[in-house]
Amino acid sequence: MLDRPLAPPPVEVIVAVTQALHREARLLDNEDLDGWLAMLGKDVSYRLELKSRRFRADRSPPFPLGPGVIFNEDLGRLKMRVDRLKSGFVWAEDPPNYIRRAVSNVEVLATRADNEVRVHSVLGMHRNRIDGTTRLLTAGRTDLWRSEGSAWLLAAREIVLDHSVLPDSNLNAFF
Amino acid sequence: MNDNIADLVDSRTGRQSRSIYASEDIYRQELERIFGRCWLFLVHTSQIPKPGDYFRTFMGEDDVIVIRQKDGSIKAFLNSCTHRGNRICRADRGNARAFTCNYHGWSFSPDGALAGVPLESEAYFGELDRTKFGLIPVTKVAEYKGLVFGCWDANSPSLDDYLGDAKFFLDVWLDAMPGGSALLGETQKMVLGTNWKLPVENVCGDGYHLGWAHAGAMAAVQSMDLTGLSVGNSGVDLDGGLSVAGMNGHMVLSALDGVSGYAFYPDPKPILEYLEANRQTVIDRLGEVRGRQVWGAQVNITIFPNLQLLPGLNWFRVYHPKGPTQIEQWTWAMAENDMPEAVKAQILENQCLTFGLAGLFDNDDGDNLTACTEQSRGWRTAQMDVYTNMALGRSGKREGFPGDIASGLVSEHNQRYFYRRWQEHMMAETWAEVPTYNINSLTDEEAEHA
Ligand code: FES
Ligand SMILES: [Fe+2]
Repeated sequence: MLDRPLAPPPVEVIVAVTQALHREARLLDNEDLDGWLAMLGKDVSYRLELKSRRFRADRSPPFPLGPGVIFNEDLGRLKMRVDRLKSGFVWAEDPPNYIRRAVSNVEVLATRADNEVRVHSVLGMHRNRIDGTTRLLTAGRTDLWRSEGSAWLLAAREIVLDHSVLPDSNLNAFF
Repeated sequence: MNDNIADLVDSRTGRQSRSIYASEDIYRQELERIFGRCWLFLVHTSQIPKPGDYFRTFMGEDDVIVIRQKDGSIKAFLNSCTHRGNRICRADRGNARAFTCNYHGWSFSPDGALAGVPLESEAYFGELDRTKFGLIPVTKVAEYKGLVFGCWDANSPSLDDYLGDAKFFLDVWLDAMPGGSALLGETQKMVLGTNWKLPVENVCGDGYHLGWAHAGAMAAVQSMDLTGLSVGNSGVDLDGGLSVAGMNGHMVLSALDGVSGYAFYPDPKPILEYLEANRQTVIDRLGEVRGRQVWGAQVNITIFPNLQLLPGLNWFRVYHPKGPTQIEQWTWAMAENDMPEAVKAQILENQCLTFGLAGLFDNDDGDNLTACTEQSRGWRTAQMDVYTNMALGRSGKREGFPGDIASGLVSEHNQRYFYRRWQEHMMAETWAEVPTYNINSLTDEEAEHA
């Protein structure tokens, strides 16, 4: 089968998916974690791999078991993380930290499947923590969003974190 | 300064002055007398398997590069150019035939020799004695069953003597199975605004915080009863575990059930099968006590000053100090080479889930350590003391184990020994003044038949 370039998705799809990204960020900022879980597909994959800083010409092979992860979650694992955050025992989140996410550089691309789009975006996460300090985390995201009924659901997300040393004492937050 | 150090810690009452967590002067002395003197973990041999493989790390605040040589041996050097001092290697790890400095282009071979100097004949008139400008080697480098350590002090005891009776417990990971051990994955690095001693103290002996600080995670993922601990610190059973200290400043916490290391695995079944399939092999190699009770159990091992490993939970960690109130915490997953690939993969996965950068447990500790540090920096708080005085004087010998041992995972016995060792080093001018002790040492025969 010949690969033909795909036509861009219809404008309504681009608008709907972009709006879904913004809505997702707002739900997370407001700690509406159940609302966020409801935006995820049942088969969702949510991943953030570890990496190391290497010379461009480095010849060493990848690790046989891979680099390890910061997140490698399916829906059950994300629910477990949400359960922990809602347990009332996560002292690092009480009083709440001030978190604000800004989504940017959104590109919505067609895929072979009619009901799925590939989405690139950049997330900036401002965290003003209870310890009084503020961190800005940035990450790139490559998503797969799927339309199911009237809603767009997140089916897969690959996150790339732009920090070689995490500048914060926890990641009790989703990208 | 020494009078002052004598006042800062009292291990008989479990008292520490809070100034040891924030004072710049004390920190400078720690860099000299602790990080400049003790054997420090550099790398696991599995991380640099081939000639030319290198790994960058720190000894105290000194940037160091560890390199596998052509003949298979391992050398370590200051990561600093001998011309004007520039950092020569800026990558975290990799494989290289040479290291070339970015500033003026001097290049060094993996054995540290100065191999190339631009304009050597034209600008130096051929008068530079290259043999005097090789990379500065770490004074001593030695390996214990896969763990490579470096030491700046030529007068230190051998690595073997330095580790002393802690080897009895290290072997539960390093030598339980014939294939030995490995570290997995990239380095998980995090900056924490804590003095370096607080995370060491936390993991070396503080079973007390588990049921409270980690209550949310324990409620969410605990798959089995972890010996003697309960969510919300509502109860404790002191019979199932040991706090072991008095081994040259190294400490161990150990449950004794042979399985509870995997209590925080959402699906521990494949690993429990591996444990049971190989239990007899380990008993044959390490004896009944370690083979049946310790291998597979929740075990925290601390090698003074800044290395901690938890076979079972399978995380391995070094704390690099970055000033009195900041560290970089580096973590890897640990495995046994005899484990099936699927089990190793599960370990890497679960270590990241529980004690990784977004670890369900790890993410509870950072803010506590940071706040303990901050609360030592005030004008008034810096004058105050804190105490690790739980279960004072309740320790002794336990059949089958070396060390001065207190019952249970909830005790502050180990922390007192940690600060005692800290004080011994800080007061000593030279290694000769640092006492050596392995309390209740077992004979080889006792260890085998334990
Ligand atoms: S500082 Fe390295 S070559 Fe000059
Ligand atoms: Fe902890």
